[in-house]
Amino acid sequence: MALGLTLVLASCGDGKSSGSGSGSGSKSEVIAIAADPLEYINPLNENGSPGIQVAMAMFAPLVTTDPETGKLQNVMADSVTPDKTSQTWTIKLKAGNTFQNGQPLTAKDYVDSWNMTAMGSNAWKNNGFFSKVDGYDALNPPTPDGATPKPTAVKTLSGLKQIDDLTFSVKLKVPFSQFGLTLQYLGLAPLPEEVRKNPDAYKRKPIGNGPFKLAADWNAGDDIKLAKWDGYKGPLVPQADEITYRFIANADTAYNEFLAGNVDFVDVPSTKVKSFKTDAPDQWVTSISSGANYLVIPAWDPRFKNPKLRHAFSEAIDRKAFADLVGLSEPAKGLVAPDMAGYRDNACKYCDFDATKAKQLLQEAGGFSGPLNINYNTSSATGQIFAEAIGNMLRQNLGLTVKYTGKQGSEITELADSHKLDGLRFSGWGHDYPSIEDYLTPMFKSNGDANFAQYANPALDAVLAKGDAEPDPDKAIKLYQQAEDIALEDMPLIPLYTKSNAYLHSAKIEPRVSKFVGVSALWATFK
Amino acid sequence: MIRFVLRRAVAAVPIGVLVTLGVFALVFAMPGDPLRELAGDKPIPAAVLAAKRAQYHLDDPFIVQYLLSMKDILTGHFGTTFAGADIADQLRLRIPVTLKLTLLANAVQWTLGLFFGIYAGFKRNGWVDRSLLLATLVLLAVPGLVAYFAAQYLFGVELKWFPVSGVLEGFPRSYLLPALVIGVLGFAGLARLLRTSIVETVNADFVKTARAKGLGEQRVLWRHILPNALLPVVTFIGLDLAGMFGGAIITESIFNLPGLGQFMFQAIKLKEGGVVVLLSTLAFISFILINLLIDLLYGVLDPRVRNV
Repeated sequence: MALGLTLVLASCGDGKSSGSGSGSGSKSEVIAIAADPLEYINPLNENGSPGIQVAMAMFAPLVTTDPETGKLQNVMADSVTPDKTSQTWTIKLKAGNTFQNGQPLTAKDYVDSWNMTAMGSNAWKNNGFFSKVDGYDALNPPTPDGATPKPTAVKTLSGLKQIDDLTFSVKLKVPFSQFGLTLQYLGLAPLPEEVRKNPDAYKRKPIGNGPFKLAADWNAGDDIKLAKWDGYKGPLVPQADEITYRFIANADTAYNEFLAGNVDFVDVPSTKVKSFKTDAPDQWVTSISSGANYLVIPAWDPRFKNPKLRHAFSEAIDRKAFADLVGLSEPAKGLVAPDMAGYRDNACKYCDFDATKAKQLLQEAGGFSGPLNINYNTSSATGQIFAEAIGNMLRQNLGLTVKYTGKQGSEITELADSHKLDGLRFSGWGHDYPSIEDYLTPMFKSNGDANFAQYANPALDAVLAKGDAEPDPDKAIKLYQQAEDIALEDMPLIPLYTKSNAYLHSAKIEPRVSKFVGVSALWATFK
Repeated sequence: MIRFVLRRAVAAVPIGVLVTLGVFALVFAMPGDPLRELAGDKPIPAAVLAAKRAQYHLDDPFIVQYLLSMKDILTGHFGTTFAGADIADQLRLRIPVTLKLTLLANAVQWTLGLFFGIYAGFKRNGWVDRSLLLATLVLLAVPGLVAYFAAQYLFGVELKWFPVSGVLEGFPRSYLLPALVIGVLGFAGLARLLRTSIVETVNADFVKTARAKGLGEQRVLWRHILPNALLPVVTFIGLDLAGMFGGAIITESIFNLPGLGQFMFQAIKLKEGGVVVLLSTLAFISFILINLLIDLLYGVLDPRVRNV
């Protein structure tokens, strides 16, 4: 305890100069993150938004989306080339890049880092990314319930091959035309050899290859202070010289810190959606969308089997009113987010509010007997309100009896996974890489990673596979749109709304706002 | 007295086992899978889930998990949280924060409580007494959440008298505002208790005797009434202080103080039985210790209940 006291007292000295009023000519900003403090920085073992956000400053991806044009742009990669079938991809790195410890960045660093992540017994969070790569199953053998996964004899993905110092190739299990897009995921960043040897020793002193490095020791409870790293030669160099990430778990407190002038950038919490424009006039920006939100109809429940019933539910929902209730939202007109290439604002034929048509469809479907249960997440402040709003629309427009059940989010997921969840629930999805495929495959492919409704349709799977094998991007989009049409006819998920995110920024910075990649404080311009 | 202390310590062991077992059972019985809670909506591959489960003993039966947790606590091998934090580091960081907040808040609460309680008790039905009654009602009716945010906005954001949140400005500045709010919200109960206790004591026979012997009014008040009136207040203060060592979850969250309360909240959110039990054990031990101190203090104040 005595040791603890000295630690805390010792740390009181620094930090006072942080905040927005430095004015010394150096471009510094304090970014508030409304989350519990990070305990380590390792992009390969990180899939949460706070961790990825910080890692984005310290690590650089292979490729990225150009914020101006929305086109794919090389960062660490010099070229990413698929073979004719899009099954084997050759990645050539730019020469001359190094890690922050001075070691050159080579193909071996990527191959070894990826193999480490793909090894199931390491339990790193981005393991799932490599399930598409040839040889993944050998590193992730099925483990009997209760057994501890042992490191496998095979240590490397058979699909991953180093060709020379700067070139390596990835062979996928099946052709996948979107693979190049997935490479912009920051969770694929490389770790240098010294970190790979003992990742635990580097939890709090990451060595990246990106534009910023740690400016000071980072101990438990400290802000993360970053300084510009001169060795970064990639494109898209941020203007800031110094960035401080401050973790404030309570989002309303973070918002108050902004109003007091102590931080330069903060997310607007859901409780302030109605007031932020008057609280901070001229100091807010909004993104186009942060993904799409749905009402999930369980595909395993025979009561909901008839597509006409699902369409009746969809027609009975007044999306405009619902989006107004949510705030900062637009009614959904399809299954993918509106900022995606391939989004159509007339994709859904059953999403216009029409109570008469809804009643007629319900009748054609043979009605719905018994009370309809709507599940909501009790840990969300708005869960119950949204459930009751949807419930009231279905009750008034279709004459259904509706009841509501509140549960913890993780319990709802668990019940749904075992087909024991009764009735409807809410869900949302945001893409990991900007392709409409990243909406359709996870949510609608049989056994997809995020197939909330446990929906399966071989026809849709076949169209998706065709799109995955189509090297021409425009033709691939057409095929994915066909898949979206099938999903809308079957409607396992009812599209509800797409929501914008709002952010506040101090007068000295202007966050980068892109139609394609959203709002970023990291790439803010300084006034 | 040593025997008394030893007896107390021995009696605490079975209670400790019951408390930790009960708390662990409660966390265990909470619905939902902890690892899913940690991952959010993201899908986790089966192999990763299995490896994480094994790492945190989540596959083992309840009693094995409990015994493993207790072993970790007793041997001091706290390990890491699900989110990857070193638990020993966290305790080193958080215990001082909670201690500083608790002591400062209690100092405010006792000062206000004793001052107003004694004044109101001695000057019954005066304006201080009446305002105190009103203040009690008002303060008890204000939800903590509202008061904390209101104080933060008014004194932190608008007037800038105090930091809005965090511990960057160190002790005591960073702790003053939350401690003041806790103290102001809590002092009224203490003051009312003390006032009532004084009122009861004033009419006791020994006070009449003292007056009949011709002692001065000041001497009667300070030497005869007050020590006796303080007895129930000491109990109240002890319970209050012990309760606060568990960490003030809402206060710590709103003022972003990295204390035990926030740690407890994170652990409950993720259903981390081991951490919850560890923190409960700490709270339990401080509770036992403070109660012991209170009992010994009782003996000092009141020779009749002295434990020799």
